[in-house]
Amino acid sequence: MRRLIENRFGMLALVLIALAAVYGGAFVSRPAPVRVEQPKPVRAAVASVSTVCPDPGGATVSAVTPPGVEGPGEATVLDGEKTVVLDQPGTLWQKSIAKGADPVRIGATGAMASGLEAGRTSKETSGAARGLAGVRCVEPGADAWFVGPGPAVADLTLHLSNVEAAPADVFFTVYAGEGLVVTDQATGMVLKPGEHRAVKLRKVITSPLVMGLHVETSRGRVTAAVEAVLGQGKGADWLPAAAAPDTQVVVPGVPGSAGRRVLYITAPGEQDTVVQVRAVLKDGSYALKGREDVKVPAGSTTTMDLTTGVGGQPAALLLTSEAPIVAGLEITGTGTLQDVAYTAGAPALDLGSVVADARKGTRLVLSAPFGAATVRLQLLPKEGDPPPPTQVVVPAARTKEIRLNPPPGGEKGFSVVLQPQPGSGPVYGGRVIEENTSLGQLLTAQPLAVARTWALVPPTTDNPAAVLP
Amino acid sequence: MHSVTAIVVAHDGARWLRETLTAVLGQTRRLDRVVGVDNGSRDDSGKLLTQAFGPNAVVSMPRSTGFAQAVHEVTTRLPHEPQGTEWLWLIHDDCAPEPRALETLLWAAEQHQDAVILGPKLRDWLDRKLLLELGVTVARSGRRETGLEPREYDQGQHDQDIGGVRDALSVSTAGMLIRRDVWDELSGLDPRLPLFRDDLDFCWRARAAGHRVLAVTAATAYHAEAATRRRRRIAASDDHPRRLARRYALFVIMANLPFWAMLWSMVRNTFGSMVRTGLFLVAKQPAYALDEIVALGSVLFHPGKLRRARKARKKNRKNGYQLVKPLFTPPSAAVRRIFDMVRGQLAGSGPLDSAGRHHAVGRAPEEEEGDELLNDEGSFLRRTFANAGARLFLALVVVTVAAHWRLVTGGLLGGGALVPVVGGAADLWGLYTGDWAPPYVAVLAALSTLFLGKVWLAVAVLLLGCVPLAGLSAYLATRRLIPYTPARVWLAVTYALLPVATGVVATGRIGSAVVIVLLPVYASLATVVLSGDPRPARRAAWGLGLLLAIGTAFVPLLYAFVAILGALAALSFGGVRRGVGISLAITLIVPIVLLLPWLGELVAQPARILREAGLPLPGDPRLPPEALLTLNPGGPGTPPLWATAGLLAVALGALLLRRHQLIVAIGWGVAIFGVLVATVVARLSGWPGVPLAFAATGLLVATALAGHRVAEFRAAGGFRKAGAWLVALVAFATPVAAAGLWIWTGAHHGPLRWNLRDPIPSLAALKSEPGEGTVLLRSAGETLTYTVLRGRAPLIGEAEARTADGAVTAAVAGLASGRGGTDAQALASRGIAFVAVPAPVDPELRRALDSEPALTRLSLSRVAGLWRMVIPVTVPPPSPPDPSHRYWLWGQGVLVALVLILAAPGARAAEPEPVAEEQVSGERVLV
Repeated sequence: MRRLIENRFGMLALVLIALAAVYGGAFVSRPAPVRVEQPKPVRAAVASVSTVCPDPGGATVSAVTPPGVEGPGEATVLDGEKTVVLDQPGTLWQKSIAKGADPVRIGATGAMASGLEAGRTSKETSGAARGLAGVRCVEPGADAWFVGPGPAVADLTLHLSNVEAAPADVFFTVYAGEGLVVTDQATGMVLKPGEHRAVKLRKVITSPLVMGLHVETSRGRVTAAVEAVLGQGKGADWLPAAAAPDTQVVVPGVPGSAGRRVLYITAPGEQDTVVQVRAVLKDGSYALKGREDVKVPAGSTTTMDLTTGVGGQPAALLLTSEAPIVAGLEITGTGTLQDVAYTAGAPALDLGSVVADARKGTRLVLSAPFGAATVRLQLLPKEGDPPPPTQVVVPAARTKEIRLNPPPGGEKGFSVVLQPQPGSGPVYGGRVIEENTSLGQLLTAQPLAVARTWALVPPTTDNPAAVLP
Repeated sequence: MHSVTAIVVAHDGARWLRETLTAVLGQTRRLDRVVGVDNGSRDDSGKLLTQAFGPNAVVSMPRSTGFAQAVHEVTTRLPHEPQGTEWLWLIHDDCAPEPRALETLLWAAEQHQDAVILGPKLRDWLDRKLLLELGVTVARSGRRETGLEPREYDQGQHDQDIGGVRDALSVSTAGMLIRRDVWDELSGLDPRLPLFRDDLDFCWRARAAGHRVLAVTAATAYHAEAATRRRRRIAASDDHPRRLARRYALFVIMANLPFWAMLWSMVRNTFGSMVRTGLFLVAKQPAYALDEIVALGSVLFHPGKLRRARKARKKNRKNGYQLVKPLFTPPSAAVRRIFDMVRGQLAGSGPLDSAGRHHAVGRAPEEEEGDELLNDEGSFLRRTFANAGARLFLALVVVTVAAHWRLVTGGLLGGGALVPVVGGAADLWGLYTGDWAPPYVAVLAALSTLFLGKVWLAVAVLLLGCVPLAGLSAYLATRRLIPYTPARVWLAVTYALLPVATGVVATGRIGSAVVIVLLPVYASLATVVLSGDPRPARRAAWGLGLLLAIGTAFVPLLYAFVAILGALAALSFGGVRRGVGISLAITLIVPIVLLLPWLGELVAQPARILREAGLPLPGDPRLPPEALLTLNPGGPGTPPLWATAGLLAVALGALLLRRHQLIVAIGWGVAIFGVLVATVVARLSGWPGVPLAFAATGLLVATALAGHRVAEFRAAGGFRKAGAWLVALVAFATPVAAAGLWIWTGAHHGPLRWNLRDPIPSLAALKSEPGEGTVLLRSAGETLTYTVLRGRAPLIGEAEARTADGAVTAAVAGLASGRGGTDAQALASRGIAFVAVPAPVDPELRRALDSEPALTRLSLSRVAGLWRMVIPVTVPPPSPPDPSHRYWLWGQGVLVALVLILAAPGARAAEPEPVAEEQVSGERVLV
């Protein structure tokens, strides 16, 4: 040992051996690469819902909570002074409201809140507002988008309600075909708690033929809905709330029937953009010939006639652009006297969807533009036991139209619960109700919204590092 | 005609008296009368006087008689000469005038008719060329000033004044020649000053009366200063001469100054004495401290004495002050002295000299530790730039600035492990004293206080300046170990630019930054502990314990590491050197005691030992083995693995040289042990920076020791010279490559930023009531992190002190999901008033918060969104302060002060010679 240390190379050898040992230790102990599983959001039942059905006068208000969530809970329907308490999940509640009534407020907690869906549907057989018109009852929010015809061609009424405890300051922005419309009457509306207001857009701005409307609050929250009356023989309907600006928008729910189809696209940003339009049809997804793309100047709304492109097929439209856009579609029925319906950009139905108001002549248009999807369909008749659920398979990049026949006990109305099955690609959908009369088709449409059944609770950690970007 | 009476006062001075008497009697100018006074000598002094002067010319006095009293005794008995000018010549028993001294003094008196008091130049008794005094003056602090450098040799440098005389405020009584009428006019020396400062007092009075006092440089006397140097016991008082000197110094100043000047002097001296007492305590000279404070007290608490003395001096005091004032020490001298004192203290040299050295016999100049940096001659700039350490530091500063300048874009410093740095030193102190907080908060608070209360400055200097500071500390700390300067420079620059150091900066690990800077100091102190003399070793042990406590507060892993090394060292050295075991025990126990409650928390949660100061920032458990061997901790800011190849090559090559085998073996042992610990830490998802820095230190020391061999090879010429250049090239390749890569990639590749916004929106900070909280939500993909801020951004160290609340987490998650329900109520009941979401605001999250009825949106912009509760917020009552915390803070403060004092360089320890001549900060001789 002594000789080893005193040797010139002894120390070096010892050190090298030690280093090799350390290296070996580190090498052996090196763990295999582990793929860190990102925690997934957890579904949680929605615990409270508040929704407002605008201008219910003369319309039928439907409300339903799908069965499934256990526990106590109740929904309160406030129709003027009258209060109705609902406590049966899975049972459709419908009521025709007298003309001139205030908006109906529905508040639900507990099990009754989970998935509560409400809508108002009205039918006029004559007059300027002839047609079927319907809209989902609206949750209070800080902003809402609508895309459709402008005040120059339609009598547009913006229904605002503040059902919160705090006052709300509301303003709106109009993106017309020529660009942003500046008007001082669009700002500074203060809605006191409990106040409702109907704003005739023609009194504020008259010129736009087309418009994208952005209703915002700088303080508080309101419910906003837009009713469009095109005039005698041209139909009427409500504009559904469109998905917020995004660079990829899916406009689902184009029914497979004849009639004009006009796409409205608004680019609210500060950047001109070119939008690629693809139609997701029964037999595949195509770029429309001759209408592959459409240019939208910054801050304006553009229309595009897709009547020939879609050709009466059930469809969804897949729009992509560089700048965020908002999109909606006008569906015109056939007949001497026409009726219109509107659909708009909508989110995927990952957490399921509920249609409160379905009746004879109701169709669902489901699209799976990105991957095949299986959707479980459950009908909830107004009376009697629900029939067993059915499965609908939508192949990838296809659209499927389903005609819904009222189940036993559902002759007076029924509801539909859709639930994409695990492993499905994103599903988008729309509901269309058609009624044929001698003078012409009546119709209304709405994109399917994500059911308020579930909320995704993000994996949350208390981490002081949150102060750092 | 002159008539001179010599008065020789003796007290136990037979050792010198014989020569003194010979000198007095051998004057070329014949003395008219001689008188001897024997103050109760117990040796042959009385006999010698009688032999020399005859029995009639000798007065015997009791032992306790003072010098002044003895002279008075003679003058009262001495009849006046009717003719001529009568002079008194005062001679101490240890003061031998040269033969021509009296003649020269009288000649000077004739030249200057207004001169009434004259004194010779005093030189040392033994070393006869050494200058002691040429007239003295006094500073307003009472310090006696000779105006001479320590140990100044007389080469005539002070004699050039015209006529060989210079005006002085005062001359010493040893050899003082006084005109008798003036003596009588001023009532002579004050007998109330039995020992010190009687000369000053007397000459001051003479000056104030308009007379002249001259130091005659042509006349010389040799003075042994027997009382001052404690060559004999003094009998006039029982107190220590140092205390007496200080007391009489203050007394004379206060008695002779006019009223307002006296008041000012009183205030000033009181304050000054307090400061000096404190400094003496710190310098571990408690006896000095006691003397200082007692001297002050005895002057201030006897106002009657002072009043009587002032009354006696009333006559010329005010008018004569204008004459005396110009003769005081100029104020600039005080400033210079303070500077010298601070310098001396920093350099670890000895005692504070408060009252003024009596004369030039200072300590012999010694080689002090700080010599290299601080004691060189020349201007400050020249000294700074001529020093390799300073140049190294500047070069590293330049490298750091070059790598970092892009970082500074305005905003807060933060990122990685560092929360955005907000607040001031007062906030940090508040955090530390308010409730239990990690102890490193106190260290940062103290540092920030030094940096004018700016925490960001302290953190920036510590973190961004980690590289130059580490270089400097490595350079200075290895002074003892590695004598060859180029090797030290290489060691320092390589250490400073280790992958660990650059990684620390990039990831904002302030804890590791502190440890990296302290590590060379640990190594240096540890060598003193293991191999130094007992006293410095013990002192180093206390210092090492304190610094280890600071390092442990930042990086707890450090303690475990050092404890293992310390145990090994105790096993190997404990039996060999006495006291090493105890020193090591001190080193290892001090951190435990100082950090006690906090370490308890660590013991309760052992996993926290792998964490360090700041936000948790785990390392990569899959760190490749080759990274560990190349001392690279991985992560942002670290160079590629090949960057340290040069270091390893040189280190292995140095093993072939058979020199310093023990230290080399220890160095490599530390290195391998460090890599081993680093492996374990890395595999446990810790950050292996600190153990790798240890390993690098061992490696560098082992290698740099062989540095001088390179110089020898270079000198040898031939292929050896080429080899030496090659080795130097390879060795310096590592730091140069590291610096180059660092500058090239810049420091902005890591998470550290200097452009952060305050995490709390100003609106929330402004509108928060005390106790109300703001939930800060940040979404990353599908996951969400949050933290609760209480009215302001979190301070450094605040995050660790808080415990997570599961109920809040659940409520925040529910709120962010938008499911409705009672989540908002749950938060409001815990005092949450705001929800802030910094950009980019996830649309889903925004929708969820917008849909919550209990929240209202206050603002949403590109930088942040802010929501506020509209339901009533109940602020939870603040938890009552833990009473034991306050006691602990006091205890901790006292302990830190204690350890500081024990670790501070002491005053006496460095004196190598046996303590024969204790310096007395006093005066004169005699009796």
